[in-house]
Amino acid sequence: MVFANVARSTLAACTLSALAFAPLASADEIQLNGSGASFPFPLYAKWAKDFSRKHKGIQLQYQAVGSGAGIRAFLAETVDFAASDAAMNDEEIAKVPTDKGVVLLPMTAGEVVLSYNLPGNPELKLPRDVMQDIFLGKLTTWRDERLQQANPGIDFPDDDITVVRRSDSSGTTYVFTGHLACASDEFKQEVGHGKSVNWPKSFVGAPKNDGVAAMIKQTPGAIGYIEYGYAEATGQPMASLQNKAGEFVKPGEASGQAALASAEFPSGDLPGYAGTPDLRVWVCDPTGEAAYPIATFTWMLMYQHQDEEKAQVLREFIEYGLNKGQKDAPKMGYIPLPENVKAKVEDALKLVGDSK
Amino acid sequence: MTRVASEALLEQDLASMKPLQGSLLEGRSLKSRIYTGITWGLAILASLPLFSVLYMLIAKGGARINWETLTALPPAAFEFGGGIGPAIVGTAIMVGIGSAISIPIGILAAIYLAEVAPHSKLAETARFLAKVLTGFPSILAGVFVYAVLVVSMKTYSAWAGGIALAVLMLPTIILTAEETLKQVPQKMKDAAYGMGCTRAQVVAAVTLPTGLPGVITGVLLAVAGAAGESAPLLFTALFSTYYVNGLEGLGQPTASLSILIYNFSGMPYDNQIELAWAASLVLVLIILVFNILARVLGRQKF
Repeated sequence: MVFANVARSTLAACTLSALAFAPLASADEIQLNGSGASFPFPLYAKWAKDFSRKHKGIQLQYQAVGSGAGIRAFLAETVDFAASDAAMNDEEIAKVPTDKGVVLLPMTAGEVVLSYNLPGNPELKLPRDVMQDIFLGKLTTWRDERLQQANPGIDFPDDDITVVRRSDSSGTTYVFTGHLACASDEFKQEVGHGKSVNWPKSFVGAPKNDGVAAMIKQTPGAIGYIEYGYAEATGQPMASLQNKAGEFVKPGEASGQAALASAEFPSGDLPGYAGTPDLRVWVCDPTGEAAYPIATFTWMLMYQHQDEEKAQVLREFIEYGLNKGQKDAPKMGYIPLPENVKAKVEDALKLVGDSK
Repeated sequence: MTRVASEALLEQDLASMKPLQGSLLEGRSLKSRIYTGITWGLAILASLPLFSVLYMLIAKGGARINWETLTALPPAAFEFGGGIGPAIVGTAIMVGIGSAISIPIGILAAIYLAEVAPHSKLAETARFLAKVLTGFPSILAGVFVYAVLVVSMKTYSAWAGGIALAVLMLPTIILTAEETLKQVPQKMKDAAYGMGCTRAQVVAAVTLPTGLPGVITGVLLAVAGAAGESAPLLFTALFSTYYVNGLEGLGQPTASLSILIYNFSGMPYDNQIELAWAASLVLVLIILVFNILARVLGRQKF
């Protein structure tokens, strides 16, 4: 019975391979899984690894699948926690199973930068109106008087401006278009604000941060938006942007914190959750003089009611992220949370608890 | 015609043929050479991508292939070292689960299609559906299993990943096994029937053993294909930075080489990018081994 032999040996091989790895960990370990936004992934993954290393018997991990997929996983209850750059909108919050409940915690913040490809990669200053015109598709050449005036030292090439945008649905696009829609009504109407928007046809699409960065590198005269952390780690040139106060500001930790300082949290509760603070806030066009104009918080999504053992680990994990974890943030290109925000999150953290 | 005359004629013929031999510039010979040259050129051109990919993988990933890389846990950002151990194990386990499901079902289906009732309505339908399934986008297999298993079990798991792979392996196994089983000479089967064998005996003792090399080829090709799949695992097994935790761990998110490559290649850190190259090399080598095995085992003809 050759067939039976083949089947038997295959089954045996599978069982063996499964058993072979059984001794690697004992059965009483707690495994906690989170998934969501790719923007904070390097930071959350580091927290998860360091936290698990310090706590015997806990395996906590975070996987990057994108903000939208993270929210879907949270609603389908396939994860223990999720993360999203766009928080959750009211509709999504209403869809959370009521026996679970949700609390949204800002955990870190980041900036979106404009990277470009000009001869010699000089330090570029980008006036507000020029930036809006470029991303509306109205300005298509680098030889522009306003640009020349803001950058007297740069000899602009006779190249066309090639705008590189994200081709995938992206939290980075959400934050970037959020700023432009705040600053310009025309942009809000023509292009819109969202994870994927109605970009002008002439723009070139590329997937993920690395795709956009590579496309900019290959195309003389290109400009595009990427995350600050990514740009910093790979040494991309970054433009100084003109903020609402009229100052040109470089992206960085200090200018990012200045932007977040102007965040005013809503005073009400999360819709449908009396007593749960609404920690969703966007700083789409900060007013401070030292503020970098495109900065945002990013949120973790936690269930309010769950297994107490898991809830305790999650609370400890958030505590770790709020305190020790914030020290990892700047060197990885994230902005540490301001003290007042940290206090709010610590308060809201108490809601992550036992099942109802 | 006398013998002498015919010999003379033959000589004449030979003499007239002589200028043809070795003439490079004669029309047909020249054409033949040009076409042969073009064929060689195209063959080299076609294999160029394969060899350039292999070269790139060895050049960029080869340096990182060592014991630590093959066994350690994936690193976090700004960490040095680390490895792809959980991904290698995860890929092996999920392909194992996929095989355990699809090989028995696939071969039994092939026996039905080739031997039991090749022209029945059921067989025609099943054959048609298997062919449709070969063109099935792999991401849809993932979405299907996500909807059926992940949402209802409320967790990503190695089971879900393995089942998604099984869906993709099944048509390859069914169709190749059916083809080889059909080629088993009718004479051999008739001889067995003549000796009083039942149909089950004929299938088990004659058809399957004779067609086995071909069946194994199909199975190994399906396994090689499954090992390289990433799309169906994205929504079913997700990924994990830890080893599969015993039998219970099969119900948790599980790492795989293809998803590790996808995740790490987009990161801005050199360490992760190097590991993505190393993982690519390991994956390609695994697939290459299965493909070569399939060639070698399938060569044996009946």
